[in-house]
Amino acid sequence: MINTGWGEKPKSNQYFYTNLVKRQGILLILLLLISFGTSCRRRNNQISIDFPVSGSGVGYASRFTIDVNDSYTRLEIIEPWQGADGVRHVYFLLKEGAILTDSLQSNAIIINVPLKSIVCMSATHVAMISALGMEETIKGVSGIKLIANPSVHNLVKTGLIMEVGYEESLNREAILKMNPDLFMAYGVGSESAGYLAKLGELGIKIMLNAEYLELDPLGKAEWIKVFGALYCLEDKADSIFRAESLRYENVKEIVEASSLPRPKVLLGLPWKDSWYISPGNSYISQLIEDAGGDYLWKESRSQTSMPLSLENVYIKGLNAGFWLNPGSARSLDDIEITDRRLSNLPAFKEGNVYNNTKLLTETGANEYWEKGSTCPGLILKDIALILHPELFPGDTLMYYIKLNRK
Amino acid sequence: MTKIPSYYQTQIFAENPVSRIYFGFIALTVLLVIFFALDIFSGSIGISPAETLNILTGNSDSPYSAIIMKFRIPKALTAVFAGVALSVSGLQMQTLFRNPMAGPDVLGISSGASLGVAFVILGFSSLIPAGNISGLGNWLLIASACAGAGIVMIVIMLLAIRVRDILTVLILGIMIAGGISSIVIILQYFTSETMLRAYVIWTMGSLGNLTPDQLRILGITITAGLLISLVTLKMLNALLLGETYATSIGVNIRFARGLVFLSTSILAGSITAFCGPIGFIGIAVPHIARMLFRTSNHKVLLPATIITGAIVMLLSDIISQLPGSDKVLPVNSVTSLLGIPVVIWVIVKGRIIKSAV
Repeated sequence: MINTGWGEKPKSNQYFYTNLVKRQGILLILLLLISFGTSCRRRNNQISIDFPVSGSGVGYASRFTIDVNDSYTRLEIIEPWQGADGVRHVYFLLKEGAILTDSLQSNAIIINVPLKSIVCMSATHVAMISALGMEETIKGVSGIKLIANPSVHNLVKTGLIMEVGYEESLNREAILKMNPDLFMAYGVGSESAGYLAKLGELGIKIMLNAEYLELDPLGKAEWIKVFGALYCLEDKADSIFRAESLRYENVKEIVEASSLPRPKVLLGLPWKDSWYISPGNSYISQLIEDAGGDYLWKESRSQTSMPLSLENVYIKGLNAGFWLNPGSARSLDDIEITDRRLSNLPAFKEGNVYNNTKLLTETGANEYWEKGSTCPGLILKDIALILHPELFPGDTLMYYIKLNRK
Repeated sequence: MTKIPSYYQTQIFAENPVSRIYFGFIALTVLLVIFFALDIFSGSIGISPAETLNILTGNSDSPYSAIIMKFRIPKALTAVFAGVALSVSGLQMQTLFRNPMAGPDVLGISSGASLGVAFVILGFSSLIPAGNISGLGNWLLIASACAGAGIVMIVIMLLAIRVRDILTVLILGIMIAGGISSIVIILQYFTSETMLRAYVIWTMGSLGNLTPDQLRILGITITAGLLISLVTLKMLNALLLGETYATSIGVNIRFARGLVFLSTSILAGSITAFCGPIGFIGIAVPHIARMLFRTSNHKVLLPATIITGAIVMLLSDIISQLPGSDKVLPVNSVTSLLGIPVVIWVIVKGRIIKSAV
């Protein structure tokens, strides 16, 4: 299941390899020529250690900072997993031709950019790379079934992208063989835990993407700047992000200007006795707030979703006019099957239950999650449209769907 | 192996004074009523006792009435059923296997149920996406748990018919459970995080998820299981003195085993199917009942185990609701944390462990 066809893949990999070696050979010659040509200038170009530590170039995101220099970019990823207090990963993105002093090399990871090959573990990484138009650099993904992006699917079909598995069932040998410029993962525990340590030992450069931990929707979207730096497409990334933040702020302003009453919103679906509730300091809570809703648990603070008792959520849910993201439910009947008592909630009775499953594919991929990271403005617009349809006359939902009886 | 356990032997003939037994039962019944009420009156939402009484007497239409009538009462009833069923199964297993550590799971019921549920939650999810098992309702889980428990139980019972030595049956049961947990681990390994969480939550047990229909079915099956266990009372008393003795006074050992297995399967099987695995109640409660009444006469022990089981389960549920907080604890952990000290106490006391092996 995890090892997708050792038999057929090596051919294309080998082709890719010889090609890479050739290309690298040419590159090396070019590099030598450039370094000869610039050898007198190089001394001035050498990087000093006292760089600015401020988070220049970052507005909404709280989990990374980027500092751009002439020949290199310093990227710092802050607390890349839940509970990684004070942990900082520093990367120096080295553009072709630039050379770092030894003193810096010892305490940071150096990545040569632009990236020519990458393996990424999350559909949101794929979405951002795709937004920059660099899909062809993706050599391996994790969970192809859960990726909605059609151009990536085409590359998988032609054998240019390989499924590498996930976590403990990661196909390490295949990744070693690919030898990507960067292996982008997301941190769910300490870096030493499990599968990453081994890959790092084997010389694969690893970056823990903390985009999923951003609490601000635009903070998530701003991670495209990290990819911009990795592909030397900073301007493109900046303009994509600027357009997206404009779209987001625009919807937010329309809602704020209307000063309509804020309907209360319930989220999620219980499993057995417990109802895992997203806290008030979460991404979805922020979206509801900005879309002119009043999330029932907006006051709560927690690092993870909180297991609350069913009766507790039920009694609060009696006040909610809207119910969003009810787990895997595709219809009102699905909710009723989960727990018949839930059909007494007013949002259910009035049919104000919406799930983000409009674009859910047969295999379980959902563009909602991918767009949620690159285009939060579109998601915000959907939620605002659900809560205040009168503000957006004539518009239709893109990612959400109203649940009906079967 | 035919050595008669001295603990049971001495105790069975040393009956307590009748007054002690009466007093014990009256006290336990009062406690049962108190705990049942406490379970309804307390919960994560604070509802004043006066309002709760109004709701119970039908004089209130506050929004809290749904909480009392649809959440807390069904949950308390489920707790009573679960406590009674698991404790009685444990008592029967301990006597039949003449082992103080035997519990309902000796027959592979909860490992079988976990296999069935694992196949549905974990197995399918690796083949079809999570979104497609929407409305993963109660009934599907119950059916899969029943199927899993049923298959494993039948295997163990067939072995029990062929194997004469009861200890061999015990070991076979443990081995089969071990094999099953390995299969479940493989399924867990290949599944998605969401489904893994769903499965793990199932293993934590849950009392508050039954619909009125399911509660009715559970009530009927538990009653049936208890009726069968009543029939086995005499045989269990005879078995305390060893299989040879039981045979000599005319007990058909295979018939007795079959009846006890049937009763336990119905009792523990239906609880595991509806509520998930709930640990240590089955092992600990019979010991508590023995301590309270200082007897191994099943005519006293069975009703004592029934009432004590209900009380302990209600107490576990009250604790798991963490009254005053909006969080809940998994009930399976609460029962284990309550039950384990009892079991340790029994072992440390040594009076049973010495004699039973």
